[in-house]
Amino acid sequence: MARRYDAIVIGGGHNGLVNAAYLARARKRVLVLERRHVLGGAAVTEEIIPGFKFSVFSYVVSLLRPEIIRDLDLPRHGLEILPLDGTFTPMPDGNHLWRVNDHAKTRRELERHSKLDAEAYEEFGKQMVQMCRFVKPILGMTPPDPGSLDPRGLKKFAFLGKRFQSLSAEDKYNLVQLMTMSAADLLDQWFETDVLKATMSASGIIGTFLGIRSPGTTYVLLHHYMGEIDGAFRSWGFSRGGTGAISNAIACAAREAGAEIRTQAPVARILLKNGIAQGVALESGEEIYADIVSSSVDPRLTFLKFIDSGALPTDFLEEVRRYKFRGSSGKVNLALDALPEFTCLPGTGRHLRGAISISPSTEYMERAYDQAKYGEFSRRPYIDIVIPTLTDPSLAPPGKHIMSCFVQYAPYKLTHGTWDDQREDFGDTVIDTIAEYAPNLKRIIIARQVMTPLDIERTVGLSEGNIFQGELSLEQLFFLRPVAGWARYRTPIERLFMCGSATHPGGGIMGAPGRLAALEILKEKVKH
Amino acid sequence: MAAAREIVIIGGGHNALVAAFYLARKGLKPLVLERRPIVGGAAVTEEFHPGYRCSTLAHAGGPPLPSIVSDMQLARHGLQKLESPIRMFAPTPYGVGLTLYSDTKCSVEEIKRFGSKDAAAYADLHQALTRAAEITRQMLELTPPDLDKPSSHDAWTALQIGRVARRLGKKEMVRLLRWGPMAVADFAAEFFETDLLRAIVAARGIFGAALGPWSAGSTALLLLRSAVDPYPVGNSAMPRGGMGALTSAMASAARQAGAEIRTDADVVKILVKSGATVGVVLASGEEIATKTVVSSADPRRTFLGLLDPVHLPPSFVVKMQHYRASGTMAKLNLALDSLPSFIALRDASDAKSRLAGRIHIGPEIDYLERAFDHSKYGEFSSNPYLDVMIPTILDPSLAPPAKHVMSVCMQFAPYKLKNGGWSSERDALRNSIIGTLAQYAPDLPPKILAAQTITPADFESEYGLSGGHPFHGELALDQIFTMRPLLGCARYRTPVRGLYLCGSGTHPGNGVTGASGANAAREILKDFRS
Repeated sequence: MARRYDAIVIGGGHNGLVNAAYLARARKRVLVLERRHVLGGAAVTEEIIPGFKFSVFSYVVSLLRPEIIRDLDLPRHGLEILPLDGTFTPMPDGNHLWRVNDHAKTRRELERHSKLDAEAYEEFGKQMVQMCRFVKPILGMTPPDPGSLDPRGLKKFAFLGKRFQSLSAEDKYNLVQLMTMSAADLLDQWFETDVLKATMSASGIIGTFLGIRSPGTTYVLLHHYMGEIDGAFRSWGFSRGGTGAISNAIACAAREAGAEIRTQAPVARILLKNGIAQGVALESGEEIYADIVSSSVDPRLTFLKFIDSGALPTDFLEEVRRYKFRGSSGKVNLALDALPEFTCLPGTGRHLRGAISISPSTEYMERAYDQAKYGEFSRRPYIDIVIPTLTDPSLAPPGKHIMSCFVQYAPYKLTHGTWDDQREDFGDTVIDTIAEYAPNLKRIIIARQVMTPLDIERTVGLSEGNIFQGELSLEQLFFLRPVAGWARYRTPIERLFMCGSATHPGGGIMGAPGRLAALEILKEKVKH
Repeated sequence: MAAAREIVIIGGGHNALVAAFYLARKGLKPLVLERRPIVGGAAVTEEFHPGYRCSTLAHAGGPPLPSIVSDMQLARHGLQKLESPIRMFAPTPYGVGLTLYSDTKCSVEEIKRFGSKDAAAYADLHQALTRAAEITRQMLELTPPDLDKPSSHDAWTALQIGRVARRLGKKEMVRLLRWGPMAVADFAAEFFETDLLRAIVAARGIFGAALGPWSAGSTALLLLRSAVDPYPVGNSAMPRGGMGALTSAMASAARQAGAEIRTDADVVKILVKSGATVGVVLASGEEIATKTVVSSADPRRTFLGLLDPVHLPPSFVVKMQHYRASGTMAKLNLALDSLPSFIALRDASDAKSRLAGRIHIGPEIDYLERAFDHSKYGEFSSNPYLDVMIPTILDPSLAPPAKHVMSVCMQFAPYKLKNGGWSSERDALRNSIIGTLAQYAPDLPPKILAAQTITPADFESEYGLSGGHPFHGELALDQIFTMRPLLGCARYRTPVRGLYLCGSGTHPGNGVTGASGANAAREILKDFRS
């Protein structure tokens, strides 16, 4: 029988690695098993086209929890965040909206569109920060179970209740709105400039199968705001070397702490013995044993693929089957011979160094969603573009560039045809859409990589290509994520834990689920 | 200026009349002031064509809370409930139809034609909603707790609800928490495979709202409604004589209890001195002095219309301006020469009785969602969702012998149209509704003797519903319970001393249940005692 570990972590994504690092730091013998040849899951850098290093999936960083960066000493392990300055939104009428981190500049820019909005914008920012302050501790908390009478759980609810109490009437009002409203409705209350509302509301729908007018999207907006509070370091940025560098830094920290990491080691089954997790069996047939199995892959894989249904309570399985993934986004990565030129703001100035958002109007955004609702990809999609090579030239050969395009909506389930025969059509649609604003784009493309939700599922194993391992909708958050009663990283199977984005507080390169799960695992007393 | 009145109630809708009754019963002397020539607000019966009468707006009972029906002894005041054994008939253009009966066993039998799994699920759904109603029903009849400084009484009620919740058991309680914020399309899909059945159930989560079946939070609306009637597709009972008969019974009960009711008395202003109400002014210029004003008008009309905003905290005014009350419903009332024949009832022997409940037009989830899509861009649906009743089947007295009346609630017709106002769109709207109906009952158009089209603009101008919203404001997650109409203003009191709310713009504010009026009266009486 193979060597025994204290814990096996399934999946070498950022959460799996964070989970392993924390366990290893607690003197546990940990083994991480990654299916692919490269670590990082959806946070990987790969040289798809010779000389061009793409952040294939996740492309910017912001939400990574500061305590994790601190605990794991990630900068020493090579993590370097380069600032991503602002958001540039080109408009079809030749106008544009360009918000940067420099307040005065942004204010002047907004005043071009509306004096009122320039005023409101700063107020809005302050209030979002307020709200983030309220939500932040929840991100660092294992959700209490409303169903149980466990005193620690009740204490947590009391704590949350008290915090809510302590808010001013204004903040209470705002918080309620933030937790329930649609991004568009909320922004309508604040601003009059349509393009501003459109481009801001985009953060409310990223990674979800919701439109900017769908209730609940304001929470996702807030989720993406978390990164923008307290100062430059955690504001949105690139990681030098692409997002893969983040995963590598965490992996280094884990290895240094004594964790063992194996790639190309796809797990086939979780081994059980009278309902208790014993270890895993690899596809190679190799069996590895451990006291604890911690799965960073999503619930569908963990419970429906790695475990035979007989071993799980039927109502739990029902809930797992019900858990919504609904991937809605695709990715198009371009290798460029030169920089794109936008008609509305010619030249290759600083506006290309930040995010370039194709979100010209609220109606444009909502119509993009409407098409997806009926099972087609948006013919004029919302696109979030970055050109990382302007900040980190090392990613491409000299003078060449990389353009990363995050695209919504691309529904996993198509009404007609399959993604395999619509992939190139999808890629063309994205390029045509951008070319309407930057006509030279088509001429400067050296090569392209089109990632449909199906490709995301196949490559990194995210079910239905959902980048957050499951919708960030209200009924799938906090003590309801992924399954009510099982939101505390534990599972109905003894010694089997979850540590991926499908657990609280959810997706984005945040690492919180991996860390919180580790803390729960360390509470577990294993008797031999 | 006339002698001061103890309490003035603005508006004569069902909530106002319920409030008036409970206040009068405790010896107060409320004066109800109704703008229109008849009481009833949105629950009225009017003659829209010589000899043809119809429930002008609301056409099916909420139903009113049983406690209210018995307290007001509405039966003694002439309320007669008419209910067919059939709750709903849902036709499709291609001939298939689904009938749901008050008797769940019959419904289950009927659904078996579509699939035994769905049939069983239907019974489960009814059972689940009945269980949920054990909690939600209690919520309807209580005053939302004060989140800033909960009173011992709030704690007590919380405990009560907690107890019921405990009886529900962990699984069902958590399920309720999970369902609330969900899209009703997902909710329906958890039970049914048949798209038609999903659509019928989902409709209850979008009726009268600016929501589509795929909008998050629409399940909360369905749950709120099933609190009054846990039957999956809701209620189809109506009073003999139409909804107006319910409100006239309420009026007569209120009068007998000691309330005074004046019609054609249009309140245009609430007078305030040093932060407290001192009276109201009528359109006629008449002033009525009073220390207590209870407004059953919607919150926007009350705070932004009748009240001079200087008497309100600026932040309150801003929030009220943000209160979402943009209606999406239109109404079409038709006088018919005879009953239309539905394709789906071609070979039904009992066609007439099948049409005696509500008729649901909206055969698929996507159909409903597409109907909603139009409204997002300021257009009305070309293929709308329709909730239809033919009241003359149960109550022939509403039309001349052998003739009929058809009452149609239409969605989605947004209050704000992209191009131009409603005046120019009225005919187009009517034609799209009739055209849609004709797809299901092709012989309808020639049978139409007269039509009354009521656009969202009319809801506002004629019936005083701001934004044309039938429920005085969206029943969205951020505008219900402790947040209705606003957080910190959900206990029927307002920032102005002596001014209260008792309309649908307060908790629970959903349909013709009277709960808002009863809750408000309870709070007002507390203040009078103290």
